[in-house]
Amino acid sequence: MPRAAEISVNEREFILQGLKENIRLDGRPFDAFRSLELNFGDEHGVADVQLGKTRVIARVSAEVTAPFVDRKFDGIFNISTEFSPMASPAFEIGRPTEAENILSRILEKAIRRSGALDTESLCIIAGLKCFSLRADLHILDHDGGLIDASCIAVIAALQHFRRPDVAVEGENATIFSIREREPIPLSILHHPICVTFSYYNAGEIMLMDANLAEEQVREGEAVITMNRHGEVCQIAKYGGVSVDPMALLNCTSVALEKVKDITKFIQRRLEEDAKKRDVGGLIAELSAENAR
Amino acid sequence: MPSAQAIVLPGDTIAPSALPTSANPNKPLTLGPGLRHIPPQTITTTIAGALSTDSKKNAAWIEYNSGRYTPSTSDLVIATVTNSVSEAYTCTLTPYTPTVTLPHLAFESATRKTRPQLANHALVYARVVSASQDTAPEITCIDPSTGKSEGLGPLKGGMLFPISMGMARRLLSGRKGRVQILEGLSERLAFEVAVGRNGMLWVDGGNVRTTLAVGRAVQEVDTEALGEKGQSKVVERVLRGL
Amino acid sequence: MAPQALLSPLHQADGSATYSANGYSVIGAVNGPVEVSRRDELPEEAAIEVIVRPAAGVGSPRERHLESLLRTTLQHIILTRAHPRTLIQLTLQITSLPDEESAGDGSALSYSSLPLLPPLLTTALLALLSASIPLSTTLAAALVAISATGKIKCAPTAAEMVRAGPGVSSLHVFAFSAGRALVLAESEGDFEFGAWEEACAVAEEACCERVAGMEVDGEAGNGQAFLRGVVEGKVGREMRWRMAV
Repeated sequence: MPRAAEISVNEREFILQGLKENIRLDGRPFDAFRSLELNFGDEHGVADVQLGKTRVIARVSAEVTAPFVDRKFDGIFNISTEFSPMASPAFEIGRPTEAENILSRILEKAIRRSGALDTESLCIIAGLKCFSLRADLHILDHDGGLIDASCIAVIAALQHFRRPDVAVEGENATIFSIREREPIPLSILHHPICVTFSYYNAGEIMLMDANLAEEQVREGEAVITMNRHGEVCQIAKYGGVSVDPMALLNCTSVALEKVKDITKFIQRRLEEDAKKRDVGGLIAELSAENAR
Repeated sequence: MPSAQAIVLPGDTIAPSALPTSANPNKPLTLGPGLRHIPPQTITTTIAGALSTDSKKNAAWIEYNSGRYTPSTSDLVIATVTNSVSEAYTCTLTPYTPTVTLPHLAFESATRKTRPQLANHALVYARVVSASQDTAPEITCIDPSTGKSEGLGPLKGGMLFPISMGMARRLLSGRKGRVQILEGLSERLAFEVAVGRNGMLWVDGGNVRTTLAVGRAVQEVDTEALGEKGQSKVVERVLRGL
Repeated sequence: MAPQALLSPLHQADGSATYSANGYSVIGAVNGPVEVSRRDELPEEAAIEVIVRPAAGVGSPRERHLESLLRTTLQHIILTRAHPRTLIQLTLQITSLPDEESAGDGSALSYSSLPLLPPLLTTALLALLSASIPLSTTLAAALVAISATGKIKCAPTAAEMVRAGPGVSSLHVFAFSAGRALVLAESEGDFEFGAWEEACAVAEEACCERVAGMEVDGEAGNGQAFLRGVVEGKVGREMRWRMAV
């Protein structure tokens, strides 16, 4: 059974010594993210995020189903995070590792339960028909920072996604294909972003966006999710070294700056992508008008 | 020196004219990695890469620089100790691969009482003694002919830097590899290095800054495929930065 | 659109490749030879594991079917005896599908798994080349459609198939080794044996023809010449240091 590779004592000591001297392996300041890249696919709702050497693709898709009986006015939204051995042979299909469980739980809290997506807008006919949205996360390359990268990917993919237009007449709903009517964007209420802090040296040293080697030697981590308005959606800390509450509060203000930067970055990339599509978009709009 | 490089795909048959011709007809032809002999006369490739030949040694092989390291006899490697059993340490050369063994007594002047005690996840610089498909490979930290360590043994301190296997070959092949970055840096810096064919470079410069500077300079030469001029520029920049 | 390939885009895997053609994009990664679990260990050869991951949703029987087809095909070209008692693990992630297929508008296309097979097979091969896994030969695959009127079309695009709708009476996938040996033949639909033979010949030409013929057609990008071009790029990059100043 392949085990997760463990870091050697030499590397562990070297990384910790470096941190005490204010030096990270890749020369970054302690509060800097690795270079972030975001690309969109040809289809709507596909976001490809590269954070340093970590690479994650999120794909949002929708289908029409019946809503849950106890939630007649809500659509369905699920995030699926299944690791494949692509990123590391230690990941096995159908046997979730702890990292996978934590990732899916944090994304659940950060995006789904914080009400980022207006699920009521996914309802077509109360109690009968609604859109079921799913976000599939594909982890292609794993060099640490999976939670941060995955959250960016899902949020970007949701903003990029367009669902088919519908027309409701009494009990009948018509769902128009992409060719018939310009699909419409989702109603997103706010954009939560996760920022992970890693702690070293009994909680005295704090790093942002640790890479895989740094993650392997950290003593504890805290994940803070907030949106650009400074609203904290969740703070998760699963064990590890104890952290001063004041220091954690301080983290939220540091995180806010990053969240603002990242949100702005996603917005810019979305606009660039929209511009790229505009050539076809104008024509599509015209033809839609003609059809009516 | 390997001359003109023909690019081959797995399954290509190597024409007899492409193979080296030795002056001595009694010297058998040696097939290196990536080539396979199908009796009676056919020689085909198994790996995509560049066909290289050496007429002096009467050898032919495929040069490639990707994929996972597979141990082969007399390679120098940097191994990580994972466990100690009754007579030997078990070590890994690359993550997730089957382990290799390092006998407790395969160290210079080691006896049952004086053998080095290695913790789990310690690093050793070793040579592959045997690497057959059918047994677990064995590594050693002594030169079998002299009984001396010859620079092999536990690696203390320092840092590991992953490099490509091709870069490791270049570093170990002397002048042919065209790497002078270490000589250049050593004019002003003092450091120790160990190169493992399994794609590892161990550097100890005594302090974090020097170690990192050396390790990252070599990685840069590797990823950017720098030649002589590019390397001297890196040396200049690194020395100025320190 | 001409097929595009990129070798070794990923850092963590031992070998990887992306390949896109005809609206299908696949990213593949190979890890191996790695440690194998006791259960799957083979005493004299490497075990091969193929995992196909759909673009959306979790794996279904359709993916399992593709996995078994890929595994049995690749078993014949990987020199498994070179690495006994190890595992060669291949993960193929479908990243995009032609609009027609993801729309799921009920044509033959959305039920058949055959159009996926050539891009998966090509990605698998490229990833194996990138991981330097010893192979006995390379292979190339092609999709062939036979219409109700008996017309044979090599590498039809998704749009063409949707337009033809029920006009497509059968679909075939053929894969040929570099030595022109037929290594995979899968068919769906109604067809005569004569038509199958004809389709097979068309596919063979697409897979194995020399460069000149392929550029004119522009559709047979799965062929051997395409592979050679990709590998030349890889070797060129690896040998850059020899030329560098």
